[in-house]
Amino acid sequence: MDFFTDGLRRGAQLILSGDPEVFGITWLSLRVALLSTIVACLVGVPLGFAVGTTRFWGRRAALTTLNTLLAFPTVVVGLVVWGLFARRGLFGGLGLLYTWVVIVVAEVVLAVPIAAALTAAAVQGVDPRVRRTALTLGAGTWRTHWAVAKEARFALLSGVVVAFGRVLAEVGAAMIVGGNIRFQTRTLTTAVALATSQGDFALAMALGLILLALALTVNVLLQLVQGRGGAGEGGGGGGA
Amino acid sequence: MLSLDHIEQVYGRRRVLAIDALALEPGSVTALVGPNGAGKSTLLRLLACVEAPTRGTVILNGRPVRDRADRRWARRRVTLVEQRPFLFRGSVRRNLSYALSLHQVPRAQAAARVARALDRLGITALLDRPARALSEGEVQKVAIARALVLEPEIILLDEPASAADQTSAAALYRVLDEERARGAALCFASHQLEDAYRWSDRLLALTDGRTSPVTPENLFRVVIPPGGGTRVVRAGPLALTLHTDRTGPAIVALSPDDIVVSAEPLHSSARNTFPGRVRRISDDGRGGVTLVVDVGADLTVRITHAALAELGLTIGSTAVLSIKSMAVRVF
Repeated sequence: MDFFTDGLRRGAQLILSGDPEVFGITWLSLRVALLSTIVACLVGVPLGFAVGTTRFWGRRAALTTLNTLLAFPTVVVGLVVWGLFARRGLFGGLGLLYTWVVIVVAEVVLAVPIAAALTAAAVQGVDPRVRRTALTLGAGTWRTHWAVAKEARFALLSGVVVAFGRVLAEVGAAMIVGGNIRFQTRTLTTAVALATSQGDFALAMALGLILLALALTVNVLLQLVQGRGGAGEGGGGGGA
Repeated sequence: MLSLDHIEQVYGRRRVLAIDALALEPGSVTALVGPNGAGKSTLLRLLACVEAPTRGTVILNGRPVRDRADRRWARRRVTLVEQRPFLFRGSVRRNLSYALSLHQVPRAQAAARVARALDRLGITALLDRPARALSEGEVQKVAIARALVLEPEIILLDEPASAADQTSAAALYRVLDEERARGAALCFASHQLEDAYRWSDRLLALTDGRTSPVTPENLFRVVIPPGGGTRVVRAGPLALTLHTDRTGPAIVALSPDDIVVSAEPLHSSARNTFPGRVRRISDDGRGGVTLVVDVGADLTVRITHAALAELGLTIGSTAVLSIKSMAVRVF
């Protein structure tokens, strides 16, 4: 137990001392997680919206596929992306393997199904009268979608947070395609794995604490937003 | 004018609506009546161009509404208030302003229109109340105000007074009558036959997704035994003698105007005689009286004020209803 508390204490000291490597790793992780969440949501949210709100042949199969992809093993994603960006791969010519950009690509592949599946579930859960009411009041397609999205906004936001959490905490794909190169592609999770295997428990603990703090911050922000929307007079369905 | 041409609506394998023709003329009020599941709400949604029919065409002002763009165009002229209306989060004012913003009404005009719509329905006090904190009756009125504020050419309402007491229902229908007077075409579905008769120019009865040739009082689902001519069928608790060439499942109707009311059994040609008790007496809104008589099942009968006075009927009085077998309509 002493070993554990000692690790915690030394980890906290490392953070407080402003160690540039720790902060470099944190910044890279945050950058990768934010960028891949944004890109994944730009693709996944409209995709989920379409699957959740429109009737088309094969819709049930599309939903099943999305839900299955939620549990897609991260190392397999890492492997496939590695194969695509390796020198002999389809995108090998770009020379992006072992850069932070390709980590973003892998994380986007992981996060798109999350954003899409949770968006589909969120909009499917919206009272069908919302859409009909917007339509009967004369709303066009986009204003109607917007009305539905506003009703589902908390569930949609939760989807974004889950996607962010997934890419922030992901280690397998980041390790395979990024290579865990010091000062270049070392993220919080890959650094924790390496530090632990090297026996540097204090560094691993410091990075673990930062990961926890980031997750906590995001969740607190989410709750603040939800609290404000829940109590407020947040405005009509489509927004004037 | 909004009209339907050979409309069919199919959900899965079930045909829920089949109407050959229907027209809502400007300055008219059409009431839709019929039992639950008769297709009233589906019909209103088709008229509102919220749903596209499986077959047939909706025509607005001479223009067939065929694709998404047509429906969008139509929905700017037609509006629907559903039976359980949905109000968006935010205040009542915000709900009405939102509707106006969809129609690009300038803000300066919007405030005055919102105030006027709420005033007409007597709900000015609700202006800044959160929509989600309103009672069912208030929600219904706000939803109607939200429809009226758009000044649509056609107003469709599904059970608009289902959460209102009798006084506020009458006030509500008076407002709708003002809309008719300004030239709007109105169509409302109602369970209250008296309201339907009183506030409409035309009553359309729906049964099993089809317009039925009779009003929806005294309808029974029966199975007519094989044979021909005069037969006896079970109509709920009643044994009904009728005359028809049909056999098998059918719907029979006893028109309220064809039923004779007497204090004692009559020695007459009527093959159906049912003793019972008067359960309700009300003005029918057309100069007559509607009686509901419990003869095992509730039967609705229409008589004149003079006949009511002569028979001295009050609630609880015994009365005998007689119907000729030839007057039992089968369809």
